[in-house]
Amino acid sequence: MGHGVQVQDLPGIGKRYDLDLGQRAGRISVVVRNDGNRDLYVFTGQSGDPTAVVELTEEQARKLGALLGGTFFEG
Amino acid sequence: MHADLVAIGAVVLAAGLLARAGRRIGLPSIPCYLVVGILLGPGTPGPVLIEDPAELSVLAALGLVLLLFHLGVEFPVEQVLGSGRRLFLAAGCYIGLNVTAGLLLGFALGWGTAEALVIAGGLGISSSAIATKLLIELHRLTNAETPVVLGIIVIEDLFLAFYLALLAPVLSDATSPLGFVRDVAISFGFLVLLFAVARYGARAVGALVGSREDELLAVLVVGLVLLVAGLSEQVRVSDAIGALLIGLVISRTRVRERVERLVLPLRDVFAAVFFVTFGLSIDLGALETVALPAAVAVLATLTCNLAAGVVTARLFGLNQRAAANIGLTVLGRGEFSLILVTLAIGAGLDGRIGPFIALYVLGLAVLAPLLAAKSRYLARFIPDGLLRSRWRYVREETISTACTHLDQISVTGTDLRECPQCVAEGHGWVQLRLCLTCGAVGCCDDSVGKHASAHFTRTRHPIVESLEPGEDWRYCYLDRALVRPPLGREPDATPR
Repeated sequence: MGHGVQVQDLPGIGKRYDLDLGQRAGRISVVVRNDGNRDLYVFTGQSGDPTAVVELTEEQARKLGALLGGTFFEG
Repeated sequence: MHADLVAIGAVVLAAGLLARAGRRIGLPSIPCYLVVGILLGPGTPGPVLIEDPAELSVLAALGLVLLLFHLGVEFPVEQVLGSGRRLFLAAGCYIGLNVTAGLLLGFALGWGTAEALVIAGGLGISSSAIATKLLIELHRLTNAETPVVLGIIVIEDLFLAFYLALLAPVLSDATSPLGFVRDVAISFGFLVLLFAVARYGARAVGALVGSREDELLAVLVVGLVLLVAGLSEQVRVSDAIGALLIGLVISRTRVRERVERLVLPLRDVFAAVFFVTFGLSIDLGALETVALPAAVAVLATLTCNLAAGVVTARLFGLNQRAAANIGLTVLGRGEFSLILVTLAIGAGLDGRIGPFIALYVLGLAVLAPLLAAKSRYLARFIPDGLLRSRWRYVREETISTACTHLDQISVTGTDLRECPQCVAEGHGWVQLRLCLTCGAVGCCDDSVGKHASAHFTRTRHPIVESLEPGEDWRYCYLDRALVRPPLGREPDATPR
């Protein structure tokens, strides 16, 4: 994986990718489950518990990915 | 099979609707399916949709077989073998405690030796489905103890395979010791044969069923699974084992991922039918007679789980919160307990096991999510002495492995046992912290100097370790969390 991204296997669930956003902004963990759903964990550094957790279906994750990647600009 | 489609449809729909309602209050699906079966079956007053549970027996058997097949397909063999001694110790302790408690309780009930063995398995093996669902719903996928919990579950699945093989001869009708030995030999021989196929013949099996089209792949795989499960039953190894092992074979082929995806919805539907059918066979009156043993079993499991949670946390150097999380997450019992009992009842053992395990599963399936969500409160009551290191300030904190600053660790120890700045300024300190980036020692935030925090503010070196005797926790100032490297990566093996 690229610099600043760590991968962790979660047997029976899927894989987790941890992304460092730099000192102030916090960090994000993405869990890609075997069933295709994704969990987006957002940490803003208040504690070890996540600030927000969003569950996305495969379809929603693809849309969000396209938006974040800057390739989705319909209408 | 004589049940008409209207009745089957109504029962399955009711089961799905109740599970959906249950999800709102955080209940797993399995107890909801069971309750629908019990309420709509012949054993309780009120509407009876299906008179005889045997009418659903083929569909229910399909559910049982697919449950175990899917378990085999997604079984991470390499990860288990590479998971290390500590995880096997932790899982061994967990399984050992629970199976022993189950065995003792089984003998105390006096229903018979075979019955006691079934009860031991039923109480000993937790529900993978409930545990993984809990981890996802309680947002614990980044916690340090989560890979440990998942590892324990996977080793439990492995244990289940061997336990099923052990039970097969016990459940068969062998009367003489010689016949018993023969049955054990056949059962383990069959296991070895299928393991050999998994090891050496997976390619051939993959070539046989590996169609490019999803439709044909699904048809071929389901056919193969049912055939192997049926044959296993013919040679008096249970269909459950056959299904599990053919799953292992498929898991080593290149179609593994597609099969996993294709079989999942089939498994979910027919497993629901299996659970409902189990519920249908339960008589409300019988539930009352086993209420006390079931309550004792629930308490025994709770105790064993907490003990195993503490032992596991100790082995992995985790804190109180993690110990509570481990013990309470794997508390749920479900599919495997019900599968074991179904096999037992099929073999003509004491019928009281059915309602006993049903009530036990219902109790724990409701308790597990409630307790797991409140693990923080339990963490307060676990004394430091039980765990390897002391966590005076950080007992109830979540330990995270998602800290991305672990690569900045380049120092792991020091001989220095004083805060140089405090010494220079001429005052004392409360506790000492070691900067893991440059090795500087400073005093904690309860000290006058607060030199460790000051060091972080000046240098931005993120992670400190407690230098107190018996403590080895690490704290990341940037993430404001206790941190540790992911499972399998020892602190000393950290790069740089």
